[in-house]
Amino acid sequence: MVNILVLMKQVLQTADLKVDRSTKTIVTQGVPRVISETDKNALEEAVRIKEKHGGKITAITLGPPEAKEALREALAMGADEACLLTDPLFEGSDAHATANVLAAAVTKILEYDLVLCGAYSEDLFAFQVGPRLAEMCNLPQLTYAAKLTLEGDRVIVERDLENERQVVEAKLPCLVSVVREINEPRLPTLMAIMAASKKPTNVWAATDLALGPEELGFDGSLIDIVRSSVTVGERRRIVLQGEAREIAPKIAKALVQEGVLKAA
Amino acid sequence: MSQENKGVWVFSESPQLMLELLGKARGLADSLGTEVVVVTSTEDGNKLVQSGADIVLTMTDPAFGSFQVDTYTDALENLVTERKPDILLIGATRNGLEFAPRLAERLKTGCVTEATRLELDAEKKYLLMDRVTWGGNLVETHISKTKPQIATVAKGLFSATPPDATRKGEVIKVEPKFKPPSTKLVETKPKPVKGVKLGDAPIIVSFGRGVRKKEDMTLVEQLAQTVGGVVSCSRPIAEDLRWLPEDQYVGLSGQKVSPKLYFALGISGQIQHLTGIRNSRVIVAVNNDPKAPIFEFSDYNVIADLYEFVPALIDAVKQLGKT
Repeated sequence: MVNILVLMKQVLQTADLKVDRSTKTIVTQGVPRVISETDKNALEEAVRIKEKHGGKITAITLGPPEAKEALREALAMGADEACLLTDPLFEGSDAHATANVLAAAVTKILEYDLVLCGAYSEDLFAFQVGPRLAEMCNLPQLTYAAKLTLEGDRVIVERDLENERQVVEAKLPCLVSVVREINEPRLPTLMAIMAASKKPTNVWAATDLALGPEELGFDGSLIDIVRSSVTVGERRRIVLQGEAREIAPKIAKALVQEGVLKAA
Repeated sequence: MSQENKGVWVFSESPQLMLELLGKARGLADSLGTEVVVVTSTEDGNKLVQSGADIVLTMTDPAFGSFQVDTYTDALENLVTERKPDILLIGATRNGLEFAPRLAERLKTGCVTEATRLELDAEKKYLLMDRVTWGGNLVETHISKTKPQIATVAKGLFSATPPDATRKGEVIKVEPKFKPPSTKLVETKPKPVKGVKLGDAPIIVSFGRGVRKKEDMTLVEQLAQTVGGVVSCSRPIAEDLRWLPEDQYVGLSGQKVSPKLYFALGISGQIQHLTGIRNSRVIVAVNNDPKAPIFEFSDYNVIADLYEFVPALIDAVKQLGKT
């Protein structure tokens, strides 16, 4: 029996984000909100562990009230219980403040053996919340898991590094962050989707976690964002169209003249 | 912010990245009128002095022989607490990326991962750290409210300073305390799929959904061969169709490349992909849809059927060689 907490983040589907080049803003309208990919892998891995070893899975997310949608999907995929951490005070939290709220929830739940999360979120790619949370909860961290095996109270993970796989083990309880290679997340069946609505979801605000405003949002953050700007590509955009036989030699020549191509 | 923190520190378990960070740290330290300190367990301290370090802290305990997150977190925590650096630059390898936030949390300080630009605020002298977010289309400038200011930096952004044999510096042996690690390395294995190294390739020929069948990849391979490039692809080709291994796709969540020349064949140009090719010097996009987003981000916009254009280009390049 393994009690697993899965940390998930709801993100805007980055593939659907577009830049309005005239106003230099990112168009978020109509962009769907989805569970960040690697977090979905983390949940899938939790379900597979439960199928093999038994136990209970709690999916936790921090976000606006709409993030409940992500939890519903998690419950349909196989989580037994969900936990939504939502409070206007959480807004503007950096990685430290976010990990702090999650750590408070993890500590409140108390009964867990394994914390699983994606190695990064699809929107920020900061790679921070997992290790910060592990540090706060004093847990061993096994990161970038491309394979996870449970043997008694030991977790064995294959860490996917740049040039190699590192097989590393730790004792439970610990935190494991996963990469996409670890599995293929399932699509919930219609039955599972219907059953999900009957599973419990806790909604916790700052007071439920005994957190004060000074620890949350901007005040609780260690990083301050002083500027942000939309990047617009500074490319030449030289248009070439017409007969392939006519354009191709022109481009080949231009590339050689620019010094980026050598004639074959 | 406390006034007593000083010095620009560098740590990376990757020797190459360490030298690149050292180059950047030297510039920052000169502007701040302070010293560059490198923490290492593996590299020759005197060589690091020649490459710009004022002080090299060499950790001699065999436990530091290879990177392990717990022991290194303990060690750096102790060294930083004792010597109070102003700035700490950490190499953004996968190990560096799991290490920096854990250390930052231990020290209760801010950390900016994969910073793309590091500058000093002209007046207040704190570090302005840019990072790219939101699918690659937003650049945010971060500052740390606390010290040390920690940033992780990926390979290839900064240049190492050429070694100068006359430079003077100090190599100090240190023995920071550490607890027994909570994780154990069992073994290392090769990666299951061996893709080409896109990071070092000067020319990359990349393709997307515009290539209709797996067999048609030969066309792409032929072009790559003719121009002396390597083949890569967009995310759907690797993740959905699995025509190429996952370490061969270019994009925000895949490989980030910086070739001299990048061909985007039949790639629509989602933000995901554009982020990965941002640092290419020249981009040639081939797409039969004139409205494809890739054309906003390309130097040569070839509006054509790639099945016609690619063979023509192969011929053209060969023809140039003959004249």
